[in-house]
Amino acid sequence: MTNDPVARSNITADDLYRRSTQFRVWSYTKDKLVETRENTNENGRALAIKKFNISFETFKKDNSEIFESHKEELDPHTLIDLITLDEEIKYLNFYAKNILEAAKYFKMSTQVKSTALSFFKKFYLLNSVMQYHPKNILYTCLFLAAKSENYFISIETFCKGLQKTEPKDILDLEFTVLQSLKFTLLVHHPFRPLYGFFLDFQQVLSDIKIDEIGELYDQAKNWLNNYALLSDVSFLFTPPQIALAAMYDTNPNITNSYLSKKFKKLDTIKEGEVNGQTDYDLIFRTIENCIETAKQLIESTREESTKIDRKCFFAINPDKLINKKLKKIKQGLQPQ
Amino acid sequence: MTQRKYTKEKKVGEGTYAVVYLGKTEKSRQIAIKEIKTGLFKDGLDMSAIREVKYLQELRHENVIELIDVFSNDGNLNLVLEFLPADLEVLIKDQSIIFKPGDIKSWLLMTLRGIHHCHRNFIIHRDLKPNNLLISPDGYLKIADFGLARSLGNANEDLSSNVVTRWYRSPELLFGAKHYDTAVDIWSIGIIFAELMLRTPYLPGQDDINQLDVTFRALGTPTEANWPNVTALPLYNAINVYAPPSRQELRNRFSAATEKALDLLIAMTVLDPSKRCNSTQALMDDFFTESPPPTRPENLPSKNTNKKQKTE
Repeated sequence: MTNDPVARSNITADDLYRRSTQFRVWSYTKDKLVETRENTNENGRALAIKKFNISFETFKKDNSEIFESHKEELDPHTLIDLITLDEEIKYLNFYAKNILEAAKYFKMSTQVKSTALSFFKKFYLLNSVMQYHPKNILYTCLFLAAKSENYFISIETFCKGLQKTEPKDILDLEFTVLQSLKFTLLVHHPFRPLYGFFLDFQQVLSDIKIDEIGELYDQAKNWLNNYALLSDVSFLFTPPQIALAAMYDTNPNITNSYLSKKFKKLDTIKEGEVNGQTDYDLIFRTIENCIETAKQLIESTREESTKIDRKCFFAINPDKLINKKLKKIKQGLQPQ
Repeated sequence: MTQRKYTKEKKVGEGTYAVVYLGKTEKSRQIAIKEIKTGLFKDGLDMSAIREVKYLQELRHENVIELIDVFSNDGNLNLVLEFLPADLEVLIKDQSIIFKPGDIKSWLLMTLRGIHHCHRNFIIHRDLKPNNLLISPDGYLKIADFGLARSLGNANEDLSSNVVTRWYRSPELLFGAKHYDTAVDIWSIGIIFAELMLRTPYLPGQDDINQLDVTFRALGTPTEANWPNVTALPLYNAINVYAPPSRQELRNRFSAATEKALDLLIAMTVLDPSKRCNSTQALMDDFFTESPPPTRPENLPSKNTNKKQKTE
């Protein structure tokens, strides 16, 4: 540290990012992210079991004979079928895509769409689908994101565009979502740094045709839409790192020559060759890591999602699960 | 985070979307709690409340109001803010208080430092006026009310030009520009600087149309010559073409201002936003290093009677 006031007052973009809520509240290590999800799933299961037990006891009291005679079929352990962590992740990825469709329907900007997805992913990092069904949460995230990103849409217009959704379904959840977001709403997306790199590439790589860089930019934008938004990268990497990963995976040659030029240039100015090389290696490892994470998205088929959807419904509404089973038994008891 | 940590002692104001209470933290720190009414609006959480929470969560700076905590009770949103008993408007209006040149310099400096922090975080305040510049018990000026703030727009995004309280609204906004940036805040601060020297609003237009006339009568009508492409702005009109004021005219208008003070005022109120100075340039201006030095916050004039927290 130096006492020179000028040197001390130099605050870098990196310093500023470290003060953002995105870094302070919503950045994780890989292990911590896994652990958080495990806890959330565990809490969701515990909650669903508690709810189930209450329903079970109520039904048992009212139908003691059947519960006695059909012990095996009405055994809590065979009845209850909760969602595993793996299923929960698949299920959320399936639902997250509905945000993209809804955003497209309302002609919302990339900014609104990306923020809504970010809200949705943050919400379910801390809440399980066995507590809040994703359908209304996803629309609430989209509605709140639209407001937060200055794309105001009235609740009537919004609900009119959706299926079987009433204003109350969304407004009742708005505060719950805001609370789960820990009252932090500003999201830094990788699109702006990508645009910054697009401009800087033109400056640094003057020997490469602008059309080629333009094409790289367009493809990298698609890459962000296809991989970055739905995956976990925003919890693990900074927006410029994600933007560089998008560019590197799209065109490693151009991106590589940009990075080597950039870091070698820094070397000569700063006389810090060792540091330049270290930084260069570090950014490469980070980029590769980011690409890998982005492409790790676990997807599920529609059938699989339908199956998990049923489980989710019964986890939230154990009454319906037990009632259904009881009805089946009672029907079997009736003389043909 | 729960209510228990804070006490609400006295209701001090009620606005359209919030009630403000004075209170204390567990450690007896004085605070203001802004309770935002939810479930009151047809479309859910109010946009101003969303913006205020969104931006204050990101900003920590000596010259920006501190958001200490956010909590909910009975489904209401509560913002715990630092206690700021006065604002610059009250001081300007109080004719019993004399402003020394160092005082004005100090307030301007603190305003610019606060806005510099917003701008380097890509946040535009969009409602700077003396009434939103609050004063702490130890004399520090803090930018408050982020209900109209927004992040810097993307290149292809349309912004609303219906922002900033009329008297502090920049020419590009008056002309209905859909693309603008942090320069709108610099304009407002320039007008506040003038008001600090004049002790009366500098450009008090009676309505939006009149505001154009008042602004350009004082600073000259923009033309293609001094502001390329200005005529393409949606509400551009030049019914009355006024000449820009001469240096001598400005000297007469601000009789107590030094030449360097005038230079900075001129730089902050350049009609063409792309030529207006930015917060870094303003902070580096010679005005701040010429004598007298800015008054230390604790020595600034304050209003000692009738302390009260603003509502919004």
